[in-house]
Amino acid sequence: MSFIPGLGIVKGMGSTLRRFFEPKATIKYPEQQPDQAPKFRGRLQLLYDEWGTLKCETCFQCAQACPIECIDMGGVDTKGRFHVHWGPPETYGERRDESALRRSGRTVPDRAYEHFEPIDLLAVDAILDEHDHDPKRMLQILEGVQGAYGYLPVAAIKRISFKTGAWYAFIYGAASFYRHLRFEPPADAVQVAAVDRNRPNEEAYLARLDEALGGSRPRPRTRKVH
Amino acid sequence: MTVVARTWQRLTIPGRVLLALLVVGALLTVPLVLLIVFSDELLAIVGANLPIVRFVVAATAILLMTIPTAFVIIYIEMKGIALMNLRIGPDRVGPFGSLLSVVHGLKVLMKEDFTPTGADPTVFTWAPVVVYLASVMSLLVIPFAPGLFGQDMNIALLYFFAVGGLTVVGLLMAGWSSFNKYSLLGGLRSAAQVISYEIPLTLSVVGLLILAGTMSLNQLVLNQSGWFTNWYVFQQPLGALIFFIAATAEANRTPFDLTEADSEIVAGFATEYSGMRFGFFFFAEYVNVFIISALTVTLFFGGWNSPFPMPDIRLALDPGSLGIGLLLVIALVPLIGTLLFAAPFWLLRSSMPSWQALVLGFIVFNIVAVTLVLGWAFISFDWVAGLIWFMVKTYGFVFLFVWMRGTLPRVRIDQLMGFAWKWMLPASLLNLFVTAAAVIVVGALRGGR
Repeated sequence: MSFIPGLGIVKGMGSTLRRFFEPKATIKYPEQQPDQAPKFRGRLQLLYDEWGTLKCETCFQCAQACPIECIDMGGVDTKGRFHVHWGPPETYGERRDESALRRSGRTVPDRAYEHFEPIDLLAVDAILDEHDHDPKRMLQILEGVQGAYGYLPVAAIKRISFKTGAWYAFIYGAASFYRHLRFEPPADAVQVAAVDRNRPNEEAYLARLDEALGGSRPRPRTRKVH
Repeated sequence: MTVVARTWQRLTIPGRVLLALLVVGALLTVPLVLLIVFSDELLAIVGANLPIVRFVVAATAILLMTIPTAFVIIYIEMKGIALMNLRIGPDRVGPFGSLLSVVHGLKVLMKEDFTPTGADPTVFTWAPVVVYLASVMSLLVIPFAPGLFGQDMNIALLYFFAVGGLTVVGLLMAGWSSFNKYSLLGGLRSAAQVISYEIPLTLSVVGLLILAGTMSLNQLVLNQSGWFTNWYVFQQPLGALIFFIAATAEANRTPFDLTEADSEIVAGFATEYSGMRFGFFFFAEYVNVFIISALTVTLFFGGWNSPFPMPDIRLALDPGSLGIGLLLVIALVPLIGTLLFAAPFWLLRSSMPSWQALVLGFIVFNIVAVTLVLGWAFISFDWVAGLIWFMVKTYGFVFLFVWMRGTLPRVRIDQLMGFAWKWMLPASLLNLFVTAAAVIVVGALRGGR
């Protein structure tokens, strides 16, 4: 590099003079909107308030609204021991409802503590006798119970736990592992029950209809499941 | 509450303005009547003391001129540096934001004027006045145009450096009276810088003085008339360069703005100043920019001379020959011109309402009329042409200073002093001796002695 005194200054002055005529980088914001993608929602950031507490109150609205499911919710439990993760994105809608309930001050219903219907346990006892109260044959027991009731009622699982000595959680885990075992009545049975409840005279009406049509009415496939 | 106050409170705001104007008009009428009654005696007195009257008028005009000049230069600086930084800069107040500097001035005027406990109030108050007046008084000898100067002294250049040197006194006063050791250090440092650069600044001009043989700035400008090759910058390039650099340091401009160094130290000597007293320091800085630009132009770039001999055009235009028709023209031309320039807008843009077209037409007419009048004045009057050339050159240098501020980083204090004593002083001495030797040699060759 040849050293000419003042050459650097001249170069610098030339550079600034070029900038002088170049288009400017400023965006006059209120009049002029920046050019950005319509999906742009700004920078994602968790904010802390002035006491250092997270401002997020896990309302799940952001996670549910996120169109590409890039927001994932998780954290540490209240005692700071375990990492918790609130399920797959499909369940964020339910989480959001729970959160709204919780923040409104009402109690959040928890299935585990809900009152369960007492059922007739004779069928359960019979199935347990048949399998010799053996917890190692739990799958067969559960399938039998589901065959008798149509699903696995909580009362039945408690009875199985009491009789076989297996933990409730163990039985619940085994049952929830298999796709064909369910803890609630199938949806169409629930619907039928609801129709029966709302229209107590359905049977009489259908009988009258059969009478009038001479028995040519198309039958629904299933009326009662269990 | 007096009757006057109650009446004043009941007036609307336009009413108050009108009343104030009425009072001002009445007060102005009295001297007018006196002037008309005693015109002969007054004219005789003025005629007898013409130099004094001329000096007073010139000093007042220059004092009044400095404030808009400072505003314009501050605006140029804000806008220019913004554009060089790829920003837009001021664009809200006034056309292209040009009134922002005025707003800054008003803001400074409205702020609290604070004097610290323990400060020497007299010296503290007078320091900005000294700094500002040193600038304004040195403007007095600058020839703006042929016949348009405050005072034509035969020692104008000496006067300029002497009065300009008073700035140091003001800086030291400000630093000393603030009762703050940092202000004192800042003032001393400013003084050290200004005094160090005063020496090469003065020495760089001595070569020019040897060539010109006069210290009258007016005579120096007259010496440079004709083609631009007559400008002293071509006979004294080194002197011009040294003068420019030293003047930059003298006016505390980047890269030598260590007195302020607004990004590093708290304004040095002006730490304790607030309100309009701070504003005076600020104004003085920008007036100084104008002054050193003007002096550079005057000494080395031909002053108010045009760079080439202007063709001698005389317009055969005598407005007086129109007689009473002149009044008619003055009354009718704006109206007709506005309508004439509004017509194309109104005809070509169907979406434009007629009042907008009229406003546009009025603006265009004004631009055209001002251009025509200026052109006529440029051709007809020597002093208008000279003033325009002078201002174009001076603001060119002002832009150069802004450009430098947008480009160059600030030097360190040891670099600053080292540069002054190790480079500028020897270079200016070299320039002086070479010029003197050349003058002797050329004189000997020409005179045959």
